[in-house]
This record gives sequence, C-alpha cells and structure tokens, in this order.
Amino acid sequence: MRTNRIWSWLFVALAIAYFALPLIGTFEFSLKMRRAAYSLDAYAVVLGDPRFQQTFMYSVLMALATIAVGVLLVVPTAYWVRLKLPHWRPFMEFMTLLPLVIPPIVIVFGYIRLYNTSSWLPLTGSAMGTNVLLMFGYVVLALPYMYRAVDTGLRAIDVATLTEAAQSLGAGWVTILARVILPNVAVAVLSGAFLTFAIVIGEFVMAALLSRPAFGPYMQLLGANRAYEPAALAVIAFLITWGCMALIQVVSRFAPKPPEQLH
Amino acid sequence: MSFAWLGVMPFLLFALLFLILPTMKIVVGSFQTNEGGFTLANIANLFQPSILSAYWISIRISLASALLGCGFGFLVAWAFVLGGLPGWIRSPLLTFSGVASNFAGVPLAFAFLATFGRLGLVTLILRDWFGINIYGLGFNLLSFGGLTLTYLFFQIPLAILIITPALDGMRREWREAAAILGASGFQYWRIVAFPILWPSLLGTFALLFANSFGAVATAYALTGSSLSIVPILLFAQIRGDVLQDPHLGYALAFGMIVVTGIANGIYIWLRARSERWIK
Amino acid sequence: MADPFLSIQHVEKSFGATKVVHDFNLDVEAGEFVSFLGPSGCGKTTVLRMVAGFEEPSAGHILVGGKDITRLRPNQRNIGMVFQAYALFPNLTVAQNIGFGLRVAGASRADIDKRVAEMLALISLPQMADRYPYQLSGGQQQRIALARALAPKPKLLLLDEPLSALDAKVRVSLREEIRSIQKELGITTIFVTHDQEEALSISDRIAVMYGGKAEQVGAPFEIYNRPATRFVANFVGTLNVLEGTVTDASAGTVRVASQDVALKGKLDGSRTGDTLSLALRPEAIALGARPGHDSKLAGEIADVHFLGSVIRVRVGVGGKQISLDTFNNSSTPPPVVGDKTEISFSSGDVLVLH
Repeated sequence: MRTNRIWSWLFVALAIAYFALPLIGTFEFSLKMRRAAYSLDAYAVVLGDPRFQQTFMYSVLMALATIAVGVLLVVPTAYWVRLKLPHWRPFMEFMTLLPLVIPPIVIVFGYIRLYNTSSWLPLTGSAMGTNVLLMFGYVVLALPYMYRAVDTGLRAIDVATLTEAAQSLGAGWVTILARVILPNVAVAVLSGAFLTFAIVIGEFVMAALLSRPAFGPYMQLLGANRAYEPAALAVIAFLITWGCMALIQVVSRFAPKPPEQLH
Repeated sequence: MSFAWLGVMPFLLFALLFLILPTMKIVVGSFQTNEGGFTLANIANLFQPSILSAYWISIRISLASALLGCGFGFLVAWAFVLGGLPGWIRSPLLTFSGVASNFAGVPLAFAFLATFGRLGLVTLILRDWFGINIYGLGFNLLSFGGLTLTYLFFQIPLAILIITPALDGMRREWREAAAILGASGFQYWRIVAFPILWPSLLGTFALLFANSFGAVATAYALTGSSLSIVPILLFAQIRGDVLQDPHLGYALAFGMIVVTGIANGIYIWLRARSERWIK
Repeated sequence: MADPFLSIQHVEKSFGATKVVHDFNLDVEAGEFVSFLGPSGCGKTTVLRMVAGFEEPSAGHILVGGKDITRLRPNQRNIGMVFQAYALFPNLTVAQNIGFGLRVAGASRADIDKRVAEMLALISLPQMADRYPYQLSGGQQQRIALARALAPKPKLLLLDEPLSALDAKVRVSLREEIRSIQKELGITTIFVTHDQEEALSISDRIAVMYGGKAEQVGAPFEIYNRPATRFVANFVGTLNVLEGTVTDASAGTVRVASQDVALKGKLDGSRTGDTLSLALRPEAIALGARPGHDSKLAGEIADVHFLGSVIRVRVGVGGKQISLDTFNNSSTPPPVVGDKTEISFSSGDVLVLH
C-alpha cells in the first residue's frame, strides 16, 4: 500500500504540473504587455474595449435565455417521463446524449441549410430570428447536462407521491410543477444552469457560423490580431468558468438527500 | 388508449426541429445533386487526398487525445480514489476537473500559445534555463502533437469526471477476496478490476473521441486554417472560402457523423459483449 | 500439550491514537471451530483481518503451524476467507469464482474444472456453474463464496459475519451447512459474529470480546453457564439481574426485594453488608415450586408472551421484573397478568456477579 501512495502522489503531482503550467504561463504572459515590467495593461485594454463589453453582454443574455428555455423544456419533460412514461427513459437518454455524438458544427450547418431565407421557416432572415436559432442551438448543446442534472435531481425525490399529495390538495399541473417539483429540483436545475452558462459564454462555432456578435468569435478575432490581450481574455474566461463551477459546488450543498431506505 | 405521450410533445418537437431534422438535412443533402436528384458523387468526392488526409489527421488526434485522456484520467482518478491519498484532495481535484473540462475553445488555445508557443513561458524557460529549444527539436504547437497536448487539457479532466464514479463502485472486498485467494495485485486487476471497469472506460473513450473529433474552436484559434483537420475544413467550407461545391460540405459533415457514429457503435457493441454479467 | 495450529500472541492494534485491540491472545487447535463473539466495535473483525493480513498488528505475532506469518502479505498466507457481503466477483461466473484461487496459482484447466465440480457438489449447487452472481440469492451467493474460499485447500478458514446479510431461515440452515462442511473437511475455522445464538450453536469454543479484549474464552456450555465477567453474562443469553445485600455471610443469606434468599456456598469472599448482583437465566426459574429448587421469591405476574412452544412470563419482584420461560402445555392455561405468584430456582443456578 505504501508503494501505491508514492505512485498516487506522482500521478497527482504530474497532473497538477500539466494543468498548472498553462494557467501560470497564460497569467504571466498577460502581465507582460508593458516592456520590462509586469502590468495589468492588457486587462485594462480588454475591459475598456466597447466590443468586449457588447459581445460579453450579448453572450450573457444568450446564456440566460438558453437557461430559461432549457429549464422550461427539460423540467416538465423529465418530470413527465419519470411519472408517466418510465419505459421511455432509454429513448430519452439516447435523445439527450445525441448532442455529444453529433458535432455542433454539423448541427449548425444543418440549421444554416434548413432555416435559410428561402426555406419554410426563414429564421436566419432576420437578426432576431438568428438570435432565436442560436439560442435553440445552445439549448441543444446544454441538453445532455441539463437533462442529466434534472433527472438525477428527480430521482432523489419521490415524484409520484409528491404529485398525488399535491393532486389530493386540489393542485393543477402548472401548480404542481412550479410549486412542488421545481423547488425540489432547484439545486439540480441551478447546477445545470451554471454549467450551461459556462458553455454558452465561450461558445465559438455556432455563433461564428451564424454571424452573431458573441463573446467567442470576439475572442477569436482578438487572438488573431493581438498578442497580450488574448492571454488576459483567457484568464478572464478561466475565472468565469471557475466561478460557475464554484457556484455549482455551493448550491450542491443544499441538495435534498435521497430518501432513507426503510428496513 | 393513453395520451400520456402528449406530455413530451414539446420536447419531441424541439428535438425534431433543432436536432433531428438539421442532421437529416445533412445526411440527405450529401446524397443529392444540386438539382435534388440522388447521387453518390459527393461521397466519392471525399476520397481525394487532401480530404482523406484531413480525416486521417482528425482521427489520429482524436484517437491519441482520447486514449491518453482516458489513460491519464484513469491514473489520476485511481490515485485519489484507491491510491491511499488523503481525502481532502478529492473535492478540489474534482472541482478543478469540472472547470478544466469546460475550459475548452478559444481561451484554451490562448493559454497554450502563451505557454508552449514560440514565446510561451515553458518554451522560454526551457530555452533560457536548460538550453533546450523545443521548436528546434521539431515541436510545433500547430501540429498533431501540439494539438493533442492542448486537447488533453479538457480530455483528461473529462475522463476523471466520468471514471471516478466507476472507481468508487469498486468494492474493497473484491480486492481483499482476490488477495486472500492468492492473487497478486496485477492478477486482481487483470481478472477482476479491469473487466469490471472496461465498459466505463470504453464509454469514456467513445465520448472523448467524439469530443475532440468535433472540436473546432480550439484548433481554429490555435492554428487559423493552417492545420487541415476535418472540422476546420468544414468550418471554412461553410464560410464559403474553400471548396466550390456546397454538396461536398454536406458530405464532409456526413463523414463526421459516420466517424463518431462508428466510434459509438463500436462502444455499444463492445459494451453489450462485456456486460453479460449485468442485469 | 501439542503446539496449537493457530497462535495469536500479544497482538495489539491501534488506528492513530485509538487502540482497538489490546493484548489479544488465543491458541486454536487444528480442526477447531472458534467464534469471536462481541458487539460491533469490540475488535473482533480487526483481529480477523490481522490474521488474514489486511491489517498489520501494531504489536505481537500470529503463527500458523508454528510459522510466523505476521508480516506476510495476504496472498502469501494460504488462508480462505468469506466476507459479510459475499464479495463474489460480479464479472465471473460461479465456476470462475470458485476456480479463481486455483487459476491465480497457475493450476491446469483440468485440475480447476475437477476441483470446481467437487466444490459445487460439496455445497449442493452443481447446476449453478455458469450463472453470474447477480442471478443468485443471497444464501446461494454465500455458499459460492464459501466454496471459493475452500477451493484452494487453505490451511485456515476465516468467516467474517457471513450470515448477517441473510434472512433468518437461510441464516439457520446455512450455519448448519457451514458447520457440517467444516467438520467434514476438518479445517481450522474462525467465525466472527455478533449473534450469540449463532456462536453458541456452531462453535467448539467461543472468545467473547469487548473493548478490544477477550473477556472469556471457552466452550459454549461454559460461556453460557459460567460467564466469567458481568459483560459475558449480560451479552450471552438473556439474564435477570437482582441487586441484593448480604445479611449473613456465613449462613449464605441475601436480602433481595425485602425477601431473604438462601444461597449456600455461593458467597465465598463476601462479607455481611456487601451488595451484590444475582443473575439468573430465564430457563432456571420456575413458576411455583419445583423439585430441587431451594430458593423462592414472591411476586406478581406482570406480563405474558406466548411464543409458541415456550411462554415467556415477566414477574414483578420488588421494583424489578424477572423473565422466566415455561413450556407450553395445552392442558394448562397460561398465567394471568396481576395474579400473585411465587417463583423458585435452585441456588446452584445463581450467578453471583461482584
């Protein structure tokens, strides 16, 4: 067992080195904009750039819309499948895993061809329509994580009993979902939401191909033309991702525990 | 007659419109001429050297990064689940894995450029302190090796996140029962532990493969269009700057679905074969 | 006396600052079936795991057949072990599980097949060879686990609470099966349990453990009838304990619940005025008089439980309740709660706990 521990420390140390180096390297690089001295100039330039502010705000709004639509779509569906259609679960699992198998670039390519100006649903014909299309694309990307999080959350509560209890008190479906089910899976929903936020904020390929002014394409453009600012952007993006994961950790503490088994 | 399925209609409609139909459009389009007739010419056009080599390098990068990601991810997960490390190390490591597995795309490319690029921290340290010029030795971040190294930054953490629950399910008694029956550590892993973990490892591999095969942003931000891998080729094609034939774009995308589809098909088949012992 | 087959000498174990096993000593003869009996946390499993080699003793030695195995790895010890939760390898069939020990030892295919068939016959599950563990009931799994442990012909068999995950009926039938297989093979066996009935019914000897120490080691009859300590008396079997005061040490009288009881020859070392605890097994007490019972106490029926062949009656004596067992008799109706009664017992059956 003692040799095991030596190997374990070795693997973990190697991993830490591999993961720490790019972060340290990026951070160090981001401070080198001013010659011969470390400075935060690169951050000042990035944060002061109106395009940064615009694209970042665009992506934040996009993320919030994605989360809202995702929750409205996923929570009732996952609830309904648990309650009424348990034999559909393998099918739902397959459907929600598809976005991990079909590359996003293929999906967005399909959008462009299917919803172009000459099609039956010309979403790409207007800016608003394209925004909506992009948002649906993001919902698809978030689907595997969102559905899994909510389904796991629902497993921890007794959906059938809660529903019957609410019905016996005269609650309708909307009330049951909004007042009984949603609060009980709030933690799972929030976890999925933060993950969705992290995914959407930095997403590149869908936004770029639908030509929307999102944060991902902006970062790419800046990277192609500047030296130090991209490193600062990478640090900022890393902190945002970290923040999202930290928030997942925080809300997870409030998750309801699975019911105890009675003997 | 039950109408319970009506409850999932909104979801099915959504999936149809924004997942199934777009994908079907690609599949159908790759077998169509510009006029809408059936043809195999688009598929046949894939078999030209430049496109074949793009697929080949994409598959190699995905295989390498999935294999190494699984391997290293497994070792790290093993280290903190079974390797006797103190318990406090687990939670920060898993949180970090959550962060790093989502830290893909454009910023990741910047980070690796700032670290392993020609003026990156590691490159300079190796050159100035140790006299090793990695670029002189043939290293190039904008290559198969460089891209694989970069992809590992999100592949390893993803593998850690998927493998950890599987390792948690390994019961201590199995190891002890094997030991008391005279098995060495190696025999235990060969006959018991590894076969039990095999389905999870296969699943991880398939997911990692698809994950890197479809990745565009990192490669594009890292290399521009200079490295010809399939997703970048397709990206350029959609933007309209390379191939003249739009239906070749369909075929290119269809090829990507086929490759990830085959990877997952192999996974499902192997898993079914290896899981006879599960209900 | 011949050298013991298994000798546990001055073994101690600490986890960090807590000592869980204190100076444990036990010699086990070849072919003997010894149980470690005690509540959870008493150190019984830790001692077993040290014999198996999963834990290293902080001090002391463990010898098997005269050879010190204290520092050997588990896979070098040639010991068989059965775990509480079966621990069958889920990815191997029953036959592969049973053959595992021989396989890793490099036995030939033919030898393995032959031994597996023997073992399956021994546990009377010959048709199960190609099943996977998930297809078996708990009792079947545990029998396979026993066969797996025995297949490589170990010198010593360790059973770590092998029955506690099973339901009551299977538990009884399997424990009888374990005992008969053990006798048939003549294998030296250590059996860890917290169930006193199990230990009493199955063992040649029992080591009752508490707080990391062996409180008493002896045959079941001895442990039950002559417990050496208050803990053993309380833990093994049901016991009625009455507090009393010695009224005359030389005459052997004790005052219990305002009544005098004569206990001839039981009060050695006590002086008049001492307080003592008198313990009695329920089956040693009779309702009313009985030949040979020389002591009696007056009381009132407080409670009657009809258990089938046995009727357990609680009698209030002073402020205490005493449990006693009487056999069911179809011609005599059970006692009625509230009736005045008298209980009797033989002073020879009284355990005096100091």
